[in-house]
Amino acid sequence: MFKSRKLTFSATLVASVAAGVISSAAYAQDYNIGAPASAQEIAGWDIDIRPDGMGLPVGSGNALDGEETYEVFCASCHGVFGEGEGRWPVLTGGEGTLSDDRPVKTVGSYWPYASTLFDYIRRAMPFTAPLSLDDQQVYDITAYVLYMNDIIEDDFELSHENLAQIKMPNEDGFYIDDRPDVSNPRCMVDCADPETMMLQSSLAGVTPIGHFVEGADAPAASHSDQHDLEASKEAERKASITGVEIVAPVAKETSAMSAAAIAGEATYQAACGVCHTNGLAGAPKVSDANAWSERLKQGTDLLITHALEGYSGSAGYMPAKGGRADLSDEAVTNAVLFMVESQQ
Amino acid sequence: MTTPSTQELLQTMQGASEHLSVNDRREFLRRGMSYVAGAAAVGGTTIASAASLTSNLPPNEPQWGRQLGTGVVENPYGMPSRHEAQVVRRTVPWLTAESISSISMSPLQDLKGIITPNGLVFERYHAGVPDINPDEHRLMIHGLVDNPLIFTMEDLMRFPSVSQIKFIECPANGGMEWRGPQMEALQFTHGMLSCCEWTGVPLKVLLDAAGVQTEGKWVLAEGADGAHMSRSIPIEKVLDDTLVVYAQNGEMLRPEQGYPLRLLNPGWEGNTSIKWLRRIEVGDQPWHHREETSKYTDLMADGRARRFTFVQECNSVITSPCPENPILRKGFIEVEGLAWTGRGTIKGVDVSFDGGVSWRPAKLKGLVLDKALTRFSFTTQWQGEPWLIQSRAYDDTGYVQPTLAQLREQRGVNTIYHKNSIHTWQVAPTGEVKNVQIT
Ligand code: HEC
Ligand code: HEC
Repeated sequence: MFKSRKLTFSATLVASVAAGVISSAAYAQDYNIGAPASAQEIAGWDIDIRPDGMGLPVGSGNALDGEETYEVFCASCHGVFGEGEGRWPVLTGGEGTLSDDRPVKTVGSYWPYASTLFDYIRRAMPFTAPLSLDDQQVYDITAYVLYMNDIIEDDFELSHENLAQIKMPNEDGFYIDDRPDVSNPRCMVDCADPETMMLQSSLAGVTPIGHFVEGADAPAASHSDQHDLEASKEAERKASITGVEIVAPVAKETSAMSAAAIAGEATYQAACGVCHTNGLAGAPKVSDANAWSERLKQGTDLLITHALEGYSGSAGYMPAKGGRADLSDEAVTNAVLFMVESQQ
Repeated sequence: MTTPSTQELLQTMQGASEHLSVNDRREFLRRGMSYVAGAAAVGGTTIASAASLTSNLPPNEPQWGRQLGTGVVENPYGMPSRHEAQVVRRTVPWLTAESISSISMSPLQDLKGIITPNGLVFERYHAGVPDINPDEHRLMIHGLVDNPLIFTMEDLMRFPSVSQIKFIECPANGGMEWRGPQMEALQFTHGMLSCCEWTGVPLKVLLDAAGVQTEGKWVLAEGADGAHMSRSIPIEKVLDDTLVVYAQNGEMLRPEQGYPLRLLNPGWEGNTSIKWLRRIEVGDQPWHHREETSKYTDLMADGRARRFTFVQECNSVITSPCPENPILRKGFIEVEGLAWTGRGTIKGVDVSFDGGVSWRPAKLKGLVLDKALTRFSFTTQWQGEPWLIQSRAYDDTGYVQPTLAQLREQRGVNTIYHKNSIHTWQVAPTGEVKNVQIT
């Protein structure tokens, strides 16, 4: 049995070697794996722009039109003047500070090429809805950010033809890596003078070390704790002014919800939670009953309309469908019901 | 079987805690107190007192030897012991506005050997972790190539695979400490560093299939996540050792590490190893995108900045003792640490106990591999003398890890990135360890 199988195998082997199937190394690496990428497939994904203008879509825009678009989509995080809200990035100012003690690196003071701004806004902003702006909006907003940095005039028509010619103030401020830039001999004895050595200790109270030093003066260990801390300080401050009692948010059992609301949870997690779970961009947190009590008084229908069409109140900017135009009206409606019923 | 009295227990604990630093002593006593309380609550004489501290120790038979444990596939994907719950990634929340574009650090103080377990590899995302269906993931190669190609995951896994152990480090590792010591723990001074065995295909093999044209000098790598993170890589690196990987430490990539596909540029800034990789474009010049202009450029004291500072230069740190691992007992001690270099292989590590006045060679332990973490060790005795301990690594190019003073003199203190200087821990006579800088 065994013997005959072996015989058959070597017979096949001899036959295939004779046919050149196994022995050729070149043939072995002719993988022929993968499919041709069509021009259409490439066009959909090829979003990159280069300083020489390669990749810019045909079109144009200006700061006058960009102002409103910027305020709607960007100002909630980056500030009306690009000054940056809270810890969000600053987009303007800082000229002449690069060699200061505390340099301020912004589009205007640091970025070498305008193409990078167009490219980055299109690929990554607004933070919560990347690739949601059309080319016209990206040209307008790019022009507006350049205008805020005194790089172009407010009526300058920025286009695929002239963007590459814009000279950024710090274009010549960069050079190619020239490390190694230090050389430390491998000294073994008398390498430093103990007489002149000074010791500097770390700052206390800036490192989250609560996990190994009991009772340490340590800051929050997670972003949500940090936000809760900031929120409770803010609530205490407000309460001390108004005398209103602070009510701790309570998590709701999903079993008490309607079928539509339960169905909406998945949409919520996928499309809304990014803002509404953590309170990003001013969004009312679902877990924060106080943030919802006034809103609920408007009635669920209006809340649904605001979620579908977008809404800009005093807290921030709520993009239509949370910036997810691909969602059906029903999915968004159910997500609102999930959010509303989480309050009851 | 006799149960010790509360009085005896307290005495034993006081004795044992004499070797501990103030904080540890406090912690030790706190834990001990709850054991005592537990024993007292059940009267101290019944069988239930088996739960108290000493009853599991010889000559007694421990509790787990007198009962059955859990069965197979109780945890289909196994988890560490619940007693290791402290061994986790941690972040410094005030560094970033949100956890979605942020960083977490590996617990280097708890790791053994040179491999970082998958759940402990440091994280850095710019738009959160996407949930990618591998059946719908594609890698596209286009630009200056003869045959633009598109690969499915199945396609990529048909190529002959290679597995290599390589470290990944964020160039901002240690970046909070340019102006002075700031972080009170190893996890936060050096934890943007991990090392895994990665499995995938050399990018060169894929580019050969597409046929790079002679003008092709750079590639742009881009992620599929919401940040569409992008970086320009010179073709020389790609032809040398860039990999496209789908597995780490024997299993498919973790979502945090780019599932189902990431780039791996061994020895280079972690951010060039684009995660959730979906596109490679070949071009004749770099793109100068946001992550290679606004970020990941090194601002010098004169206001000018270095760009394309790819290599992570030779670096090392002592991981025990360290603030999280104080010295608990006098006598024998193994001083241990990690060394790594993006230029090649670690040649040796020296340690100093007097703040860099004199140095002695340490031993390299276990595997010493190209662009991988390398573990070093120095065994000695400690009798409570104050130490200023340091490690200094050198690599096979002859480069010796510099002092912070040398780096500051060349670069100033505003560069954020690439701080690979000799690190100092101060060991107090109590055994407590603090992060300090010597100037
Ligand atoms: C929800 C908050 C938010 C909104 C809204 C937002 N951004 Fe951002 N933006 C961020 C965050 C966070 C980063 C940093 C991301 C990172 O580093 O990974 C950023 C980075 C940037 C940067 C790069 C800054 C630098 O110095 O590198 C630019 C430019 C920018 N945003 C422009 C815009 C524009 C234009 C819009 C409106 C279309 C916008 N952003 C909307 C949060 C936001
Ligand atoms: C980019 C962040 C963001 C996303 C994503 C987002 N929201 Fe909002 N949402 C906001 C902000 C900010 C507000 C508060 C606006 C205000 O009152 O100024 C808000 C308010 C709301 C309100 C209250 C409106 C009112 O009239 O008070 C509802 C309902 C709502 N969002 C539903 C949703 C739903 C459903 C989704 C997902 C489909 C979603 N949001 C996704 C930011 C977001």
